Amino acid sequence: MINSIPPGLVMFLGAFLVPLFPHIYRQFYMIFLVLLSAISLFSAEGSHLIIQVQDIQFLLHHSDNLSFPFAIVFHIAAFLVIIYGGHIKDWREQLAILSYAGAAIAALHAGDLFTLFLWWEATAFTSVILIFGGKTYRAYRSAIRYIVIQVGSGILLLSGAILLFQSNNEAIFKELDINSTAGLLIFIAFGIKAAFPFLNGWLQDSYPEASEAGTVALSAFTTKLAIYALARSYAGVEILIYIGALMTFFPIFFAVIENDLRRVLAFSLNNQLGFMVVAIGIGTELAINGAVAHAFAHIIYKGLLFMSMGAVLYRVGTCKASELGGLFKYMPITAVCSIVGAVSISAFPLFSGFVAKSLIMSSLGYEGLTFIYFMLLFASAGVLHHSGIKIPFFAFFAHDAGLKPKEAPINMQAAMVLSSVLCILIGIFPSLFYQILPYSTYYQPYDFSHVLSQLQLLMFAVFAFICLWHFKIYPPELNSTVLNSDWFYRVLFYKITNFFVIRLFDLWEVFSSSLIKVVKLIYVKVQTSSIQSGNSAVKVGRSTVLILFSLGFVLVCNYLLF
Amino acid sequence: MNIFNKLVKNFGKANSIALLICIILLLLEFAGDRHGETEYEDFLFFPAFFGFISCIIIFRIGVALRAVFMRDEDYYDK
Repeated sequence: MINSIPPGLVMFLGAFLVPLFPHIYRQFYMIFLVLLSAISLFSAEGSHLIIQVQDIQFLLHHSDNLSFPFAIVFHIAAFLVIIYGGHIKDWREQLAILSYAGAAIAALHAGDLFTLFLWWEATAFTSVILIFGGKTYRAYRSAIRYIVIQVGSGILLLSGAILLFQSNNEAIFKELDINSTAGLLIFIAFGIKAAFPFLNGWLQDSYPEASEAGTVALSAFTTKLAIYALARSYAGVEILIYIGALMTFFPIFFAVIENDLRRVLAFSLNNQLGFMVVAIGIGTELAINGAVAHAFAHIIYKGLLFMSMGAVLYRVGTCKASELGGLFKYMPITAVCSIVGAVSISAFPLFSGFVAKSLIMSSLGYEGLTFIYFMLLFASAGVLHHSGIKIPFFAFFAHDAGLKPKEAPINMQAAMVLSSVLCILIGIFPSLFYQILPYSTYYQPYDFSHVLSQLQLLMFAVFAFICLWHFKIYPPELNSTVLNSDWFYRVLFYKITNFFVIRLFDLWEVFSSSLIKVVKLIYVKVQTSSIQSGNSAVKVGRSTVLILFSLGFVLVCNYLLF
Repeated sequence: MNIFNKLVKNFGKANSIALLICIILLLLEFAGDRHGETEYEDFLFFPAFFGFISCIIIFRIGVALRAVFMRDEDYYDK
């Protein structure tokens, strides 16, 4: 019976009882719900819960070899975020974390596009609470923009699902044709959440504005749900290779110049999504395994990096590189965990990033996509630069900023240490990790050639940074705002709209004043001619002319307006 | 040993160790058959060269882009 309940549903519904529990007991209750939800993961493949509403079938619980690894890592992420946010006394944020994770897990098990739409929107509405949780005016404004874009993505998804249902009489969540209107609408909907180029502004805008635990939760679910959706519906679609390559490439430079370290990680997240999108575009078994493995590993190491920066923000009150430095002495556990996350994301051998990214790079090599391969290799050096070096170096080393904070709270430390252990275990035992991937293909990441090439690439990139820093070529970090694609709707769109609206009002003012003058002139003319028609006609003429004139005016207006 | 001491003095301990690791990685190239996913990678020291140059290029472009994309901190709040 429990196996037929969609994983995540108990978390989503159970979250609404969170306010009834006092702090600390609440954490145990939330962890219990995560474990309860995880039981359903081990149900057999196929559809387990179908509800028929008139002509539409809602496949509420469908599981297979693609949803399984995502569901496992979503549960792990939910567990880690609950521990990380254990110090939070505000029940609203904890309710949001649990319901958001539950909605994302339930979305993974949607068997049709209408069910997916419901959970897709549920993730949007629950996650926006976490951005409001930033409790600043910027966070509030960012949350409004975030929800508009997320709901917009949902509307596109629903439109595509309806079109598909009209033509096929079903809207199963499976491979879709990108050349059809429905397929294209759904592709864009997924692309918004996967932060495709020029659709990515919401990510860097909103994630760094959320609360410490909120950002960790946000980094895990929304974008990876989109990656899962792309892998299910658009595997092997060639354009994804080029979109993904652009995604890996451009955020590097923005991350390098960004000062807010949580925003650097948001750019880095975008770059990492690019690797997954490329792999989905390739579409071979090895590549899909690579995309899933990378999503799995990425959720943990990116969560770890966000946790470490969240801990810094919690203790110091800022995450700006220009205001940080020298924290290693005061927050050693956070620093070590941050370094583990940085080394993992850089794909050093024996860490999770290496065993995951290698699958993608090898699949590119096997398919002979040399140019894309080198773009991704370049992006790998970029990842090392902004996430591998910049994050731990500017926060914990660089210069002494004179800050003397306490180490992170014990619950934060526990979550970070657990995440670090997972990063290392995945890196050391790749064969165990590969067993949960969708396809059973043999792959050996650890051979002399591969390890040496990767170490040379990374260590010489590190050495280049050392030279730049040592010889004082590297410029200081500055308090600044880095323009991103959200500039188009935050500034350009606003200015264009403002320009046209002001012109429209000016035009209306000129037109209405001229109209009044003309009407007044006619009225005076008619009135004067009535008066001249004699004594008896004066009384009748004035009122009659007035009524006639009013009626005529209403008639003309009526004609013009309707 | 004397050379290493001089290096540590001028370049710092951690930096010197990083340099030493880099040299060892280059020497390991001759210890076995290193090959890449593409034929270009088979050139001697290719990954090392690619990593070093990539990092410099990223840095140079990043610095150049500061002029284009960097604005005041309160740019959106004005």
